[in-house]
Amino acid sequence: MKKYLVLALTVVLALSLAMPMAALAKKPVKIGVLVPLTGIVAQGGQEMVMGIKMAAAVKKTILGRPIQLVVEDTRVKPAVAVSKAKKLVYKDGVVALIGVFSSGVGLALAKNMDQLKVPFLSTHVMTTKFYGLNPLVFRCGQLANDQTAVGNVQGILATPDLKKRKYYVLVHDYSWGHDAAQRFIKLAKANGITVVNPDFDRAPIKTTDWSTYLTKIKASGADGIYIALITNVIPHFAKQATDFGLMKTCRLVSGAAPGPLELEEGGSATYGIFGASDYAWDLQRFNPKAKKWNAAFWKMFKTIPSDAAAHSYVGAMNLFNAIEKAGSTDAKKVAAALRGISFDGPYGVVRISAKDNCMRNAAVLTETMAAPANPYGAKVYMKVIKIFPAKVLGPPE
Amino acid sequence: MASVIQIILNGLVLGGVFLIVAIGLNIIYGLNRVMNLAHGSLYALGAYFGYTLVTGKVLLFGLDFEFGGLNFFLALILAPALVGLVGWVLERVLIEPMRDRPMIYTLILTYGLMFLIDGLIKANWGDTPHYIIPPEFLQKPVYIGDFSYPAYRFALLVGVAVVMGLLMTLLNRTRMGINMRAAADIPEMVSALGVNLKAVRVGAFVLGCVMAGIAGFLVGPLYPILPIMGHDMLISSFVVIVIGGLGSLRGVIVAALLVGFVQALAEAVITNFAMVIVYMLMAVILVFKPYGILGEGKFE
Repeated sequence: MKKYLVLALTVVLALSLAMPMAALAKKPVKIGVLVPLTGIVAQGGQEMVMGIKMAAAVKKTILGRPIQLVVEDTRVKPAVAVSKAKKLVYKDGVVALIGVFSSGVGLALAKNMDQLKVPFLSTHVMTTKFYGLNPLVFRCGQLANDQTAVGNVQGILATPDLKKRKYYVLVHDYSWGHDAAQRFIKLAKANGITVVNPDFDRAPIKTTDWSTYLTKIKASGADGIYIALITNVIPHFAKQATDFGLMKTCRLVSGAAPGPLELEEGGSATYGIFGASDYAWDLQRFNPKAKKWNAAFWKMFKTIPSDAAAHSYVGAMNLFNAIEKAGSTDAKKVAAALRGISFDGPYGVVRISAKDNCMRNAAVLTETMAAPANPYGAKVYMKVIKIFPAKVLGPPE
Repeated sequence: MASVIQIILNGLVLGGVFLIVAIGLNIIYGLNRVMNLAHGSLYALGAYFGYTLVTGKVLLFGLDFEFGGLNFFLALILAPALVGLVGWVLERVLIEPMRDRPMIYTLILTYGLMFLIDGLIKANWGDTPHYIIPPEFLQKPVYIGDFSYPAYRFALLVGVAVVMGLLMTLLNRTRMGINMRAAADIPEMVSALGVNLKAVRVGAFVLGCVMAGIAGFLVGPLYPILPIMGHDMLISSFVVIVIGGLGSLRGVIVAALLVGFVQALAEAVITNFAMVIVYMLMAVILVFKPYGILGEGKFE
């Protein structure tokens, strides 16, 4: 009897010890997703969430544990983003932060990384200030301003219709816009491209009526417009430029890729926007992986595959793989694993440089025009007209 | 010269939109003593109703269906009417029970309503920006020699003039309008004369909401239609009302045009500080003309 009692107690003890281990083994790896879900860029934020969700669905587990995404709305306000990041880290216990739309928000978060002590991988911050900013801060997503400027200047030089034009530079009035304008103007001047307003024009982010700016562009005598406006705003600007008859004489080159759903709403008024970016769903003509990814995205969300979703997907895959590679959720180990990691996804190999924590990848020059028959029902698309290898875009390592 | 004409026209368009929104807000305040903070959201609702009627894509929280879409001008009448209907329900169900309480109650109530309406818009129509597509002949620019200006913006100016003409006729030539104006000044006297003051107040509230709906529809082909589009418009309307004088219709007309011009001109000259100039103008008016630019305001 005594023997059975000892045996039963041993089993109970073993079970009680094993249960927390089992529970721990199944405890999800929490990832904090910081995106704008309200305001003028809310659509872009939702597309970012789609890309990250898709990556989590593809990856399924990290370190044998399920992935749990905790999504927070930054409202594109630095102070809000910082407070949400603190909530994600201190209250929800996330092991890494991903997302962030604006450079202003990204830089504000980066300042707090020494307190937050988790890796932060931005998929949309384009400012060049992110290069080697902090050991815990990474960029893997939309091209940086210097890379976009290289792509756009090369695109202008390679396109006879764009080469001889005089450009008016108009940007959104915050750190990303200023940085984008400065990068483009410097490179344009060095390559003999005329810029009529070297001090560039700045529009508040909330601008919805572009009439005054269009009036100034007309008065300047420019026949080319270089814009660095938030992706979702680009089609609105193009539509108003068309309403004003400006697109008849001017060509529009953009420092960011326009949002696909906004292009649809703008219709034919948004034809003729040139720009360098790393992804457009038309890449499926050149890359079978893009075709496969587009199909999977469409199946999952029933919406046009966007660059915001593609960047976020690739960024998330690199982050998830880095945690796996680190074999731990320890911030320093994950950060070390992120340096030099690469992922071959919808727009080719995207590698995070070990030198400056920012990605290197190939990119495309696109022009918006009427879409051919496609599975996504898109009427307007960004046609790929040139592909740049990663080495061309730089920066050198 | 072409640039100057364009800036003047830009100012007129901007001022025209401000005018219709602000005058609606002013009518509601004048008769009801309600500072309707949900006015911007009703403006957004006008744009969304217009988009739905013109495209024929009806979204009803998942119970979606499509019809052929209405003629733009018919939708221009129906969309504001629907906003008026929403306004009537809001007045009957929420505003009326608060009428005898201090103004702070309706202020908080309408503040909450603003978020409720914005949230419902977002839940139903989503975050993707939309446009109301105007008729083909209004989609092209009008060329006069080297000068060109969008045809729809000219049409908007005509629309604003027609709306203001109808409003002035209603207020000056009809019994209902005369009762409204009288009730805004001496409600007790109007009531003593046997006029149904409650009906006048309801009418004024609905009329104010219809004005917000008209403005929302008119900007639909110009600016992206977004759930939060009313927020900035609400702020601009307050600026117009403060400059024009709370409760003063004539003052609001002058102020709306003034703010439109100042903003368009400031944006053309010193982009970054355009709104600062507008707010400075408001501050100066508040200090030196606290009852509005024409001195007809009714602050309480």
